[in-house]
Amino acid sequence: MTEITLTVNGIDKTVDAEPRRLLADMLRQEFGLSGVHIGCAHGACGCCTVHLDGTPRLSCLTFAVQCDGATITTVEAMGGALAEHPLQLAFRSEHGLQCGYCTPGFIMTLAPFVDDMVAQRRMPDDGEIREAMSGNICRCTGYHGIVAAVRKAIGAGLGKDA
Amino acid sequence: MKAEQPRHIGARIQRFEDIRLLSGLARYIDDIRLPDMLHATFVRADIAHARIVGVDSSALGDLGYATWMFTGEDTAGLSMKAHQDYPEMQYSEQPLLAEGRVRFVGEPVAVVLAEDAYRAEDAAEHVLVEYDPLPVVGTMQQARDPALPPLFDGWTGNVIVQRQMKGGDLEAARAQAAHVVKRTYRTQRQAGVPMECRGVVAHYNPGDRVLTVWSSTQMPHLVRTYISEELNLPESRIRVVAPDVGGGFGVKGQVYGDEVLVAWLAMKTGRPVKWIEDRREHLIASIHARDHEHTLEAYVAADGRVLGLKADITVDNGAYSTYPFTSAGEPGMVGKVLPGPYDLKAYEATFRAVATNKCPIGTYRGVARPSAVFSQERLMDDIAVELGMDPIELRLKNVVRQFPYKNVLGFTYDEGSYAQSLEQMQTLLAKDIAAAEASRGSDTTRIGVGLACFIEQTAHGTPDFTRRRVPIETGYIAARVDMSPDGEATVDLGLQNHGQGLETTMAQVAADALGIRPENVYVRHGDTLTTPYSVGTWGSRGGPLGGGAVHVAATRLADKLRAIAAHLLQAKPDQIELADGVASVRGNPGNRIEIRKLARAALRNVDRLPDGMTPGLEAHASVDGPRDGTYSNAVHAAVVEIDVQTGKMKLLRFVVVEDCGTILNPLVVDGQVRGGVVQGIGSAMFEHFIYDAECQPLTTNFADYLMPLAPEIPDIEVHHIETPTPLTPLGAKGLGEGGAIGPAAAIANAVASALQVGVESTPLNANALWALSRHIRERAEA
Repeated sequence: MTEITLTVNGIDKTVDAEPRRLLADMLRQEFGLSGVHIGCAHGACGCCTVHLDGTPRLSCLTFAVQCDGATITTVEAMGGALAEHPLQLAFRSEHGLQCGYCTPGFIMTLAPFVDDMVAQRRMPDDGEIREAMSGNICRCTGYHGIVAAVRKAIGAGLGKDA
Repeated sequence: MKAEQPRHIGARIQRFEDIRLLSGLARYIDDIRLPDMLHATFVRADIAHARIVGVDSSALGDLGYATWMFTGEDTAGLSMKAHQDYPEMQYSEQPLLAEGRVRFVGEPVAVVLAEDAYRAEDAAEHVLVEYDPLPVVGTMQQARDPALPPLFDGWTGNVIVQRQMKGGDLEAARAQAAHVVKRTYRTQRQAGVPMECRGVVAHYNPGDRVLTVWSSTQMPHLVRTYISEELNLPESRIRVVAPDVGGGFGVKGQVYGDEVLVAWLAMKTGRPVKWIEDRREHLIASIHARDHEHTLEAYVAADGRVLGLKADITVDNGAYSTYPFTSAGEPGMVGKVLPGPYDLKAYEATFRAVATNKCPIGTYRGVARPSAVFSQERLMDDIAVELGMDPIELRLKNVVRQFPYKNVLGFTYDEGSYAQSLEQMQTLLAKDIAAAEASRGSDTTRIGVGLACFIEQTAHGTPDFTRRRVPIETGYIAARVDMSPDGEATVDLGLQNHGQGLETTMAQVAADALGIRPENVYVRHGDTLTTPYSVGTWGSRGGPLGGGAVHVAATRLADKLRAIAAHLLQAKPDQIELADGVASVRGNPGNRIEIRKLARAALRNVDRLPDGMTPGLEAHASVDGPRDGTYSNAVHAAVVEIDVQTGKMKLLRFVVVEDCGTILNPLVVDGQVRGGVVQGIGSAMFEHFIYDAECQPLTTNFADYLMPLAPEIPDIEVHHIETPTPLTPLGAKGLGEGGAIGPAAAIANAVASALQVGVESTPLNANALWALSRHIRERAEA
């Protein structure tokens, strides 16, 4: 066992971790964050994406002990219990989700992309938006609503700052 | 009494369930955690066909932590029995844990439990199984080879079942035909792949003798019934809960041996037990789908009228029959649906399921129809080529136009929009067809347009299952609607919601009948403790039958509200309108009372009720499907661009014109159609579960089993025609599966038109397209 300290969704916690314990399992079991979903456990579907020091990372391919001292954000901290992050609101209005299992991973992958586009003050074309989600698999929506949601969230960001 | 005019049905309402799904507060099967819980890991067969010589678990004692292990000797006699009452069918049972013999890679041989999931997995690796290999039956041809021994003792060969269905005079059709077009078409083996794998948690409480089973399933009541029968427990003392379910697509519309086994383990160990499937297990051992070969022979008149069709259908069923749709279900469905939307007067189908050493075939979105429509619609295009006709004109010449229509097998089609949807698609594709023709001379880039015209029997009623003598037995859906004293309504629904938006659409239906807002309706589902017995969510019955049941029950409740209002407002019940939370007298809107006050009168201030009326506000209804179901129809079209030099194909457009009758919520309907289409694109272009000659699976992860990703998929254009059916309470037809049915045929037809070749099989990946375009490269080089 190795003692590690993680800052997860703004809260510091020190835990004992077996070196082999996956970050995904640690977040789910020790931190009670059930929004972290495991879809394949081999880094191919993106369901388990979280932010590690601000960057999207597959928590099923990351050992918890690698993250000692790191700051981690999961979907629970994005828009709270009412899912009020602009990208979450857009997923809802554009029907960017059905069963919801892949959804937290898409939100964590795409929120930085939305922020980046808003910072660059430009609306990407659909090809760029689709490429930005090429590491995530959604089996329900056919991606259509997700693309629309990303457009809408970027549009809202651009409009607000204009 | 008739319901009020629809107000919320048909509205584009955002889904209520989205908030918990988006926030991370949803609870899926792996989120169920109980004190003192044990974690189960399976030891699975790693060769495809063998006798089990022995299981050595002696190393478990040296691990230094507690483990439990069980094999088929412990569970002897417990099995999955999926028998169809066909006298000639060869029956098989799959033991919960293999008994003496394994028949596919991935079959559970032993189960190991520990107090931590990592340790259970470690321990399972220390269990050694010794096998004595048997000859492998690996292909349809081998399964029909009498020289190879049968998979089961007592069987004569490996053809599980072979039957015929026919109608009309096929000999006369053959005699009259100017053309005979005969082709063989194949669709590949696939896995269904919801993003959440399956999983089961069980807990037995000896105090009240109640067994609780949580399972990621589409059919909690059927799981309950099967566990009750297999473990010999009273069904009243079993509670099955489907929590949030991360996609199903039919894969979770089966009862699995592990659902029974985990329940048995919880009773055996006296501890809660959890098993969560991993992705490799899911791909190799949940269920597979498709894997068809159809030989079709069409007898066609000189003017393009198809006079008769003869079909020979084989499905590679894998090793076992699955519950409750059996190994005859898949090929039988092809035989039943091949006449399709066409006015065919003579038909004969021979269908068979064969057993091989592969994962069993089960239900996956569309169930046999993606394969059937692939063959039917490839055949139509091959006929068009043979006769030199335009493929749309050929279809327009053959589609059914008079409704109701009794087809060649005796099934009655309710009204649809077959010709209209073809004509609409013809208009939508005009520019693409011109572009495709202009590309015909190109040696580098070809454009192709292809379409698929099809119908889908949805919401089948009990008679359809009785005819097939299949263990599902019935297809009805029930709902119970009640109102509490504050005027809020609850719907307890026999459907299970795993992405279809039922918590929203069913609230819309109830709200219209009750005169309240959808926000004031709480839809509960998936828990046998609170919901009325039903078959679950599958077979495109959620909208037509679930919605129908909610409508009928809520209307009964509304009738009581109207009776109370009439008494209090001194009017007649048929003068009372329920809308916007208020009951008012028609023509005298000032004479009104809030619905929540009626609810309070019914449940608390019961002295205000009319004489003789019993207190309470609840109603139950169940709605069975029509005898032959209700037929949705659609035309799908694909526009593709193929790089002849590399075989790379780009989907330029995918267009849907569909008719599912009354639309409950357009947001949800469009989402269901588009999601289904993209799964169908997966079938057409990417997904292929591959076994080698020894039946070793080769595509056991997402790097090898390829699914559609966002960059490969265009926007899916959806156009609606609404032809409500008189056969369901709201006029709705089923629509959940249809999207997945057309794409393989439409894309294959687009490839055939682009490359001017026959296309006989899927998937149409880069390798296949490179081979199909060889003639163009060779011509260019010559």
